[in-house]
Amino acid sequence: MSKLISAIALATPVILFSQPSYAYLDPGTGAFLIQALLGGVAGVMVVGRIYWSRIKAFFRRSPAKTPETLEPSRIDEV
Amino acid sequence: MKSDPGSFRDPSGRVYSDNGRIYRTVSAAAAQEYKAVRETGLLDELTDEGWLARTGEVDPATVGLEPEAGGIVLEHERIPFISYYYEWSFSALKAAALLHLKIHLRALAKGVTLKDATAYNVQFRGVQPVFIDLLSFTPYVEGSIWEGHRQFCEQFLNPLLLRALLGVPHNAWCRGSMEGIDSGELSRLLPLRRKFNPKVLMHVTLLSRLQALGAGDRDATLETMSMPPLLPRDKFVRMLGKLETWIEGLHPADTGKTVWADYETDNIYDSEENAVKHDFIARTVKEHKPDVVWDIGCNTGEFSETALNAGADYVVGFDFDQNALDSAFARSTGKALALLPLYLDAVNPSPNQGWNEEERSGYRGRICADCVLGLALIHHLAIGKNIPLRSVVHWLMDTAPLGVVEFVPKNDSMVKQMLALREDIFPDYTAEKFEGYLKERGEILEKKQTSKSGRCLYLYKRQ
Repeated sequence: MSKLISAIALATPVILFSQPSYAYLDPGTGAFLIQALLGGVAGVMVVGRIYWSRIKAFFRRSPAKTPETLEPSRIDEV
Repeated sequence: MKSDPGSFRDPSGRVYSDNGRIYRTVSAAAAQEYKAVRETGLLDELTDEGWLARTGEVDPATVGLEPEAGGIVLEHERIPFISYYYEWSFSALKAAALLHLKIHLRALAKGVTLKDATAYNVQFRGVQPVFIDLLSFTPYVEGSIWEGHRQFCEQFLNPLLLRALLGVPHNAWCRGSMEGIDSGELSRLLPLRRKFNPKVLMHVTLLSRLQALGAGDRDATLETMSMPPLLPRDKFVRMLGKLETWIEGLHPADTGKTVWADYETDNIYDSEENAVKHDFIARTVKEHKPDVVWDIGCNTGEFSETALNAGADYVVGFDFDQNALDSAFARSTGKALALLPLYLDAVNPSPNQGWNEEERSGYRGRICADCVLGLALIHHLAIGKNIPLRSVVHWLMDTAPLGVVEFVPKNDSMVKQMLALREDIFPDYTAEKFEGYLKERGEILEKKQTSKSGRCLYLYKRQ
């Protein structure tokens, strides 16, 4: 149960902060990381580290969006 | 010898068919894996359970195939009708998903794992799912992850959740998006409380989010991948077991329990009219002895059952009503019938599609019926969908050389109801015209009125 709580605790900010990525996707990344989480502490740490770098990036992001950070379909509007 | 256009994705082998026999060439490397897996006893165990297509090794020279040096040729049992998961009812998809998990659990217990989890690797004998790809098995390495997880979610779990959580059938989406329902797309449709259900969280929401997150930080992802052992076997087994329990408990959200029991009650209230129909079909099957019968508009499968009881070997039923299909599936399961009910919108049947438009075969390309049943069908197409009557009759006659077709005239209450709110633009919709169209392509062997309103059954034989 404690694992479940920690999974939810970890998942909540991930869901709230992460943006869908439109970059080239590794077909197995999501499943890989989920199973790393299931696998134990090491996996949790890696996912946590990725997530932490995303939070830092989120707060570092400048208010004026550059074309690279926009969805491809919206680049034309810039 | 014809190579199967749907078997190219795995380079370790290809499937061929020759006069109804199915062969598979296996590369040298894959042959070694196959032999290692076979030595564990897993394949025999699964075959005995009826879960795996029966397979034997054959001498390549005798069948005219040339595998690469060190490769082998296998012969598989023939599946009566190849179907695709976008044609399955909820019940069928669920049965296939559970089979996949059960096989994987048995495999892990023997030190074997599955390298993919595609729904195209499951076929049906009647309503019994059977796994058809032996080359998916590979020796398990301790700590390795479930490589097919994402594929399982996209082709089994997400389509089931779409109906179980949102009441939306998967068929149209999966036919369009043949590789399945993307977890991110499903996640966007789910209400917030569903997203945080622990099981949905793990296999849908978090999976899709981590997919996006991991793609943004490839170094860290690669680092994760280099950490053995990643997923201990006990956790792998528990993950599959939990998925199995979850899927076993899934039911369509848009139906009550009554639907599942309908097939039992609808037989009790057989009207006199229905009795005449049953008799007509039973006599036809006994006299003409068709092996394979297609029942277009099979509903809950009651006439399919009659055809089987009269001696038909196999019936493929088609309907576009999801609940009727699930009832037919329950009937076939409960009575152990050789009946496979499939989803079909007759005005828009499955097309040839996939790579080069030939990876998955369409309706026409898979026609194998000796006899077709078209009961209470013609008026739905000719009047309900404005398909010219002549075209409907010929389409049905293209499906099988022999058939039982029902004509429902305009003064029948069903057709009256269909025309109540619209203009009657169907001057050609008459019994005389109908008979004329049948005669253009064949002969009418028998005609029998089944109701006071003038409904008639016709037995045709194509020229």
